[in-house]
Amino acid sequence: MNRFRPDFSDDPAVELNGVSLRYDTADDVLSDINIRLKPGSFTFLTGASGAGKSSLLKLLYLALAPTAGDIRLFGQRTGMLKRKQLSAIRRRIGVVFQDFRLLEHLTAFENVALPLRVAGQKEAAYRTEVVDLLRWVGLGERLNARPPQLSGGEQQRVAIARALINKPDLLIADEPTGNVDPDMARRIFRLFQELNRRLDTTIIIATHDMHIIREFESPVLRLQHGILVEDVEFQGA
Amino acid sequence: MSKPTPLLPESDAREAALFFVVAALCFLAVLAALTARGTYTAAKAWSAQVEGQMTVRLMDTDRRGADEAAAIVRGLYGVESASVLSQAEMEALLAPSFGPGGIPEGVPLPLLIAVETMASAPADAETVSSALKAAGFNAVAEAHATYAAEARRALGTLRVAAIGVVVLLTATAIAVIAFATHAALLARKDIVDVLHLAGAEDSFIAHLFERRFWILGLKAGAAGSVSALAVTAMIVFSARSAGSQSQLLPQLSLDFWDLLILAITPVAAGLAARWAARGTVTHSLRATL
Ligand SMILES: Nc1ncnc2c1ncn2[C@@H]1O[C@H](COP(=O)(O)OP(=O)(O)OP(=O)(O)O)[C@@H](O)[C@H]1O
Ligand SMILES: [Mg+2]
Repeated sequence: MNRFRPDFSDDPAVELNGVSLRYDTADDVLSDINIRLKPGSFTFLTGASGAGKSSLLKLLYLALAPTAGDIRLFGQRTGMLKRKQLSAIRRRIGVVFQDFRLLEHLTAFENVALPLRVAGQKEAAYRTEVVDLLRWVGLGERLNARPPQLSGGEQQRVAIARALINKPDLLIADEPTGNVDPDMARRIFRLFQELNRRLDTTIIIATHDMHIIREFESPVLRLQHGILVEDVEFQGA
Repeated sequence: MSKPTPLLPESDAREAALFFVVAALCFLAVLAALTARGTYTAAKAWSAQVEGQMTVRLMDTDRRGADEAAAIVRGLYGVESASVLSQAEMEALLAPSFGPGGIPEGVPLPLLIAVETMASAPADAETVSSALKAAGFNAVAEAHATYAAEARRALGTLRVAAIGVVVLLTATAIAVIAFATHAALLARKDIVDVLHLAGAEDSFIAHLFERRFWILGLKAGAAGSVSALAVTAMIVFSARSAGSQSQLLPQLSLDFWDLLILAITPVAAGLAARWAARGTVTHSLRATL
C-alpha cells in the first residue's frame, strides 16, 4: 500500500532531466545531463578545461535555456515560468562568475550591495552587513575602492561577497578561488562550508583544485566533453 | 555615507552627442511652429483688413469727374467711405516701383477711388461698377477679397507644411533616441546582464534607462526651445528695426499658444526619449531568458 507523504525537504533544490545544450555550433556542449541536488547539499563540479562546467552552471543560474530536457529549481520547472517568476528565482541564487563581472563604476561596497539594491532594500538597512562581510573577506580597508584599483584576488573576493550577501538558497560558484593564494582559498571554502551548514544553502562549485576537493570530502560531479561521468543522486554534504 | 552611485554610469560622450541632436531637432521644430504661427496670425490680420476694401479705377475722366464718381459710390448701400486718392497717396503707393525720387513727369496715372465697404453688408464690386456705368463713367471696381482668398489658400498650404515639418522632426527625434538607447544598452550590456542575473525585473532595468533618457530629453528639449525663442525674437527684432513695412512680418506676440509650444516641447522630448528607451530596453531584454 502506498501512503502519500508530502515531504518537501526531499524535493531537490536542483534537478536536471535529460538536459542538453548546444550553442550556435553543430555539436552539443552538454548532452543528456541528469542531476539532483538535495537542499543543503555541497557538490563539486570538475572536469578539464572546455568540458562544459561553466555552461552547466549558466543553465543553473538561468542565464541560458537548455536545448533539450528540463530544469527544476526549488521544485519549479523553469521552462514553464513567467519572466517575473524567473527573476524571483534568480534572487534566491548567488553566483560567483568565473570572470567576476563586477561593475567598474561602483565601489567594492556598492558591488557587494548590488543584489540588495535590486531587491529594493535601502542602504541604511544593509550597511553593517555589507561592511562585515567585506571585512571577513579581508577587504575592510578597501570599501570604497573600485574594481580597476583592486588586484585579481581582491576582485574575486568582492565577487564572492556579492554572491553571499543576500544569503541565497543556492550558491553557484565558477572557479571561485582561481585568483587567490591557497590560504585565502581554504578560508573561502570554509566560509562556503559554514554557510552550507548554518543556513542550509545548497552549494555547487566548479573547480580544478584537487587539493580542495580532497580536503572537503564532498560529492564530485565530473564532466568529460559535455557528458557527466560520475552521476550523483541524493547525496548530502 | 554619500548618495549611492547610480547603477548606470554618468553620461558619456555618446550622450553628449545625443543631447545635441535632440536639442537641435527641438530647436528646428519650435522654430517651424513659432514661425508658422506668427506668419499665419499676421496674414490673417492682413486678410481680414483687406477683405473690406475695394478699388475703383476710372478711365477717360479728370479729377473733378473722379470726385463726382466718389460721391456716387459713397451714396450706395453697403459703402462705408469712398475717396479719390490724392497725388501724394498715389506716389506713396507707387514708391516701391519708382523709388524715392517720385513719379516722373508725364507718366499717365489712373484715377483711383479707395472704397471701404460696410462690414455687416458689404457692397460688391458688381454693384459699384454698374452704378458708375449708369452714371456714364468708364469704371472698373475690384474687391481686394479676391486676393485675400488666394492668400488664404496659400496660408492653408503653409500651415499644413509647418505641421508636416513638426511631425517629421518629432518622428526623427524619436527614431534617433531609440537608436541611441539601443547603442547605450549595448555599451552597458555588462551592467544589464549583471542586474538581470541578480534578479532585477525588466521594469527595474528599463526604469534606469527611462529615467536617464527622460532627463536628457527634458534638458535637450528645453535648450532647443529656448534657443528657438531667442532666434525668433532676434529675427523679428532685426526685421522691425530695419523698418520693414511688410504687413506679413511675423509677429512674435508670445501669446498663450506660443508659450504652450515653448513649454510643451521639452516635456514632449522627454516623454519621447523615455518612451523610446523603455521600448528598446524591454525589447532587448525579452530576447534573453
Ligand atoms: N557562447 C558560446 N558560444 C559557443 N561556444 C561556446 C560558448 N561558450 C562556451 N562555448 C564552448 O563550449 C565548450 C564548454 O565551454 P565551458 O566554458 O562551459 O567550459 P569549462 O568547462 O567551463 O572550461 P574552463 O575550465 O576553461 O572554464 C567549449 O568548447 C567552449 O568553446
Ligand atoms: Mg569555465
